[in-house]
Amino acid sequence: MGSEPNFRVAVDVGGTFIDFVLLDPLSGEIRIEKEASLPDRLAAQLVKGIGRFSVGLDQVAQLFHGTTVGVNALVQEKGAKVGLITTKGFRDVLEIGRGRRKEIYNWVFRAPKPLVERSMRREVAERLAFDGTVLHPLDLAELDREVDLLLGKDTEAIAITFLHSYANPVHEIAARDRIAARYPTLPVTVSHEVTGEWREYERSSTTVLNAFIQPMVKAYLDGLGARVRAEGYHRPLAIMQSSGGVCSAEIAAEKPIRTLMSGPAGGVIGSKFLCDRMGLKHAICTDVGGTTYDVALIEQGAILERSSTEINERPVLGSLIDIISIGAGGGSIAWLDHRPGLCVGPQSAGAMPGPVCFGKGGVKPTVTDAHVVLGRLDPDYFLGGRMAIDVDAAARAIEDSIAAPLGIDLIAAAEGILAIAETNMANAIRGKTVARGLDPREFVMLAYGGGGGMFACAVAAELEIPTIIVPPAPANFSAWGLLTADYIEDEVRTKVTAFDQNHLEGHLATLASLETTARRAIEGYGFAAAEVELLYRFDLRFRGQEYAITVAVDQPFGEKEAVLSSTRRRFVAAHQQLYGHGDVDADLEIVSLRCRAIGHVAPPEIRAIPEAARQGAKPRRDVHFREAGGFVSCPVMQRASFAPGYQVLGPAIIDEWSTTTVVHPGWQASGDSFGNLVLEPIAQGDKPSCP
Amino acid sequence: MSMTPIVLTEIIRNRLVALTQEMAKTLVRTAFNPLLYEVQDFSVTILSAEAEIWAETPGVIVFSRTFPDAVRAGIRRWQGRFTEGDVMIANDPFETGTHISDTSVYVPIFQAGALVAFCGVAAHWADIGGKNPGGWCPDTTEVYQEGICFKHQKLVAAGVRNEALWDFIADNVRQPEIVRGDLEAQLAACLQGIKGVQSLCGKYGAALVKQSMTQVIADTDRAMRAAISRLPDSEWTAEIRLDFDGIDADGDFLICLKTVIDGDRVKMSLHGSSPTTRGPVNLPAPCSVGILSCVLKGILMPLDPTNDGHFRCIDVALPPNTIVNPSRPAPTDSYGYVVECLTELCFRCFSQLLPDRCPAGSYQLTFLGFARSADAEDPGFIVADSVHGGNGALYNEDGQTLMIPGNGDLPINPVEVLETRYPVRLEQVSLIPGSAGAGKFRGGMGLIREYRVLRGGSYLNFVTENTKSPTARGVDGGEDGRISRMVINPDQPDSSTHTVRFGGYGPVPAGTLFRAESGGGGGWGRAAERDPERVLADLRNELIDEAEALGVYKVAVKRQASGWALDADATARLRRAAG
Repeated sequence: MGSEPNFRVAVDVGGTFIDFVLLDPLSGEIRIEKEASLPDRLAAQLVKGIGRFSVGLDQVAQLFHGTTVGVNALVQEKGAKVGLITTKGFRDVLEIGRGRRKEIYNWVFRAPKPLVERSMRREVAERLAFDGTVLHPLDLAELDREVDLLLGKDTEAIAITFLHSYANPVHEIAARDRIAARYPTLPVTVSHEVTGEWREYERSSTTVLNAFIQPMVKAYLDGLGARVRAEGYHRPLAIMQSSGGVCSAEIAAEKPIRTLMSGPAGGVIGSKFLCDRMGLKHAICTDVGGTTYDVALIEQGAILERSSTEINERPVLGSLIDIISIGAGGGSIAWLDHRPGLCVGPQSAGAMPGPVCFGKGGVKPTVTDAHVVLGRLDPDYFLGGRMAIDVDAAARAIEDSIAAPLGIDLIAAAEGILAIAETNMANAIRGKTVARGLDPREFVMLAYGGGGGMFACAVAAELEIPTIIVPPAPANFSAWGLLTADYIEDEVRTKVTAFDQNHLEGHLATLASLETTARRAIEGYGFAAAEVELLYRFDLRFRGQEYAITVAVDQPFGEKEAVLSSTRRRFVAAHQQLYGHGDVDADLEIVSLRCRAIGHVAPPEIRAIPEAARQGAKPRRDVHFREAGGFVSCPVMQRASFAPGYQVLGPAIIDEWSTTTVVHPGWQASGDSFGNLVLEPIAQGDKPSCP
Repeated sequence: MSMTPIVLTEIIRNRLVALTQEMAKTLVRTAFNPLLYEVQDFSVTILSAEAEIWAETPGVIVFSRTFPDAVRAGIRRWQGRFTEGDVMIANDPFETGTHISDTSVYVPIFQAGALVAFCGVAAHWADIGGKNPGGWCPDTTEVYQEGICFKHQKLVAAGVRNEALWDFIADNVRQPEIVRGDLEAQLAACLQGIKGVQSLCGKYGAALVKQSMTQVIADTDRAMRAAISRLPDSEWTAEIRLDFDGIDADGDFLICLKTVIDGDRVKMSLHGSSPTTRGPVNLPAPCSVGILSCVLKGILMPLDPTNDGHFRCIDVALPPNTIVNPSRPAPTDSYGYVVECLTELCFRCFSQLLPDRCPAGSYQLTFLGFARSADAEDPGFIVADSVHGGNGALYNEDGQTLMIPGNGDLPINPVEVLETRYPVRLEQVSLIPGSAGAGKFRGGMGLIREYRVLRGGSYLNFVTENTKSPTARGVDGGEDGRISRMVINPDQPDSSTHTVRFGGYGPVPAGTLFRAESGGGGGWGRAAERDPERVLADLRNELIDEAEALGVYKVAVKRQASGWALDADATARLRRAAG
């Protein structure tokens, strides 16, 4: 061929499938592929899937990758043998944790075991005060002895956490350098490099988890890099981070703890990109998979983030997209509790055996089985006809497990299963909106993932959300979203001090050093200094309070009085919005400073579905809707018909390869100029009718 | 076709549970007091208009069953004359069940002019203006010494703040800005509850909400009684003694529990327990009933979201004027020891019936406080720091190091937060080797927390109990866990060791070192039956020493270059000899 490589490819690895999206930036054409997700040969499957596009890797300019290798290693607890080095007197911090009984009435509750057993947690003499003052110097001879002892116990990776290292990393740096000088190939994770935040247990946990998965993630990314290079791809491999930006494979291999949300992040940043183009400020992003329902929020045009999460009850600090995940997906199992009351999830039938109707040995009724019984899914056109659906088996399972014991009929039981799943979904959205003082009626809902279009109307109706957007190819939307990602570097430092005129100078010096680090990393990807966007945020609280609110600071290096007063105003307004009160004059404290550097990548074009020959005779199917009082005959439409302005009134079913959208009675669906399907309640006065 | 009622009922229940979680989050995020934001010493409850529990999110379980009693006392006091926009405050221990520091703030919720529900927050305040900073007085003799008392005054009356009352509170507590901040946080959570319940009633109708929750409660009660019916009719007794009431060194402080399984009900009696004590270890009636009810709920239905239906199958007989049923003006500030004793006695009664639901005995409440009141030279501070300890072993697993069972979900304060916020440096946080009760499955380890006080003029409190008649009792041949203690200036010439609690110790000079050591948990089963691989792991991890492996566990080991190894033959001989 000989031409400059110009294709862009995004690869999103899920539990069942690897999703691929290819973008031809010249024509703007988007193509989609799927390949089986085989954990032991991911790199091979990945190359094979790209091959299906009939485009050589030497023609690919950018390869973006969302990976679940790191998070899977954590969830399954298959990682390296880690040795922990910590401050004298504190080796048990990792085991004691916070001593919580999270299931408060469970007298036989068991907290997770520490990933590093006591004999592998070693102490060295050193101590800093809370403000970073050195109280006791680091004993390097003792460090050498303890590291050698750990290596004698087959340690594969070292984690180092010293008290107050966020305030002054001098001892962690000295220890890291010392180990690197003696054992250059030994992987070492130091706490202040993975998170500059306080709380020693949470920081130790984050550090140990990083060390635990680092050798495996590095091996995977090195292997993948070698594989794609052999196929002719010589550009950097970009890896999605939990924060929603990409970083190089080298950084991801050093700090794999940053990739925990690498999988679901793609859909959220894709949503943000779509919303920006459409001029939407507030959106609720909903991703319905086989096992979970993932909810994220776009508020005032920004993705809502959080500063920590947990994996297997072990805390992880660090910026990540705030995605709440509940056990309500297509595979979620319906069951009866002791009273008996009807419950759905969080247990899922997963990919194997899957829902009863898949006929792969599942016997417990699932949400998908309820959809099948109610006629919402076409038994002859599931996954484009690739999979046979056993309607009778689904009905039997619901009858035997739910309907008969409750003494209700089959249809009521199937309706009930969906209603419970839908309220759980609505509660998850309430947790992100109502609980934070936001009114869901001011948001649009983006519905994607394999089941996004099946629940959207019911959940939106429950919350009175006025508009639903089902993007093009919703089942592959997370992979598409990767193509919209920018390079992002986050730096954060905890520094608890008064937020006032006297201390501002010091805060700004810290912020400037964070900026330098973050900016250099982005420039390392080939961005010019002027191309790097910088965002500054402070975590603030009222003096005496514990929990802080993160607020944006627009011009931190501007006029000091203005920085203080505008930041204060923003904090107090946020506090009032969240909690209903906030004193405008009370003293403020800064807890952490944050700087984010961004290198922007050229995004894909968004296009409408072209005008096509309208469907001729539309097939019809009987589908059950509670609000219609039973089964009603619905038209079955093809998604490809929905050019801008094309409209259908519910009830209706809209099919496309790999997913189905259900338009409830009282709702209408139309195509827009961005290729979306837009679902809205039919305005008062319009007469619902079938086209 | 409308929604199937059984489905609608679930939706309403789930919404109310989620609402209490949202209220709790608001409280934690806005509170000023580490007892609330780090330690979660609070609970959030939504109740019917008759004060039946509809939903709750507890941080500690002592409030779960007592909160409705507090609201019922308010209904009686006002004879139902509540107005929309009222916010009530109550902390009388004889109505709330615990101690005067736990202050309940609750609100009536109206829909279309009719009272439809209550919601509220019980929370441990940083100070309540009693004899000792931060409360938990060890030696009061009347409740009047323990702090200011509220009996359902209106903090806000029909939407108008009672500023005089707010000022009165600020003028009578040691850390007014913290207390006021916490009170605002309680209020914010209540306002959120009002909005949430009103929105639910607006959507489904107040009558349907009430009807649904009445159904949930009835169904839950039926399930509890069915669980009890599956147990054999039987009678169990257990008793325990406190060391000391804080005043009478020679008194006898006995607590007796008799549990009778009688068809589908559990009948408990505390007859035989000692008279009301002069010192403040008495537990008021609402909490004596409450804690036993909560422990039973946790044994039978641990993961079910709590409602009134969990508490209807139990009868508790309380003898009047006893340590478990005192009357005003008896002191109650250190009520928590009896809470843990009742928890343990309940486990002792049920551990043979349901061994998979009851742990062996756990450590008794251990914590440390130090404080100084504000004066001209110093802004003052109050630190209350829990020293978690060894929980009892399970029938099939070693015990954990956690908060005691009766206290629920209380996280430990991080060292980095404590040192940043208070004039203190921690020099050690570690498990205590050998502190766990030995057994086939051993108890959880006790903890050391060592504090160097950096500012002079501070006073110290140390909290412990049951050093003679331990709560951390072993089961089925398992051994007891070690007791808690405090060492002041360890390894110094003026070193002193304390197994008796104290309050107001000081003023101590800067540089004083306090080493608090919490107790271990009781073991389960005979130590000589412990899997030798577990013994080896404990030895490798320095949780026991070679002497304990050999002498207690009957496991012989050899030291090799790679570490400890099992001597299987010698172990077999030792264990045969042990029988």
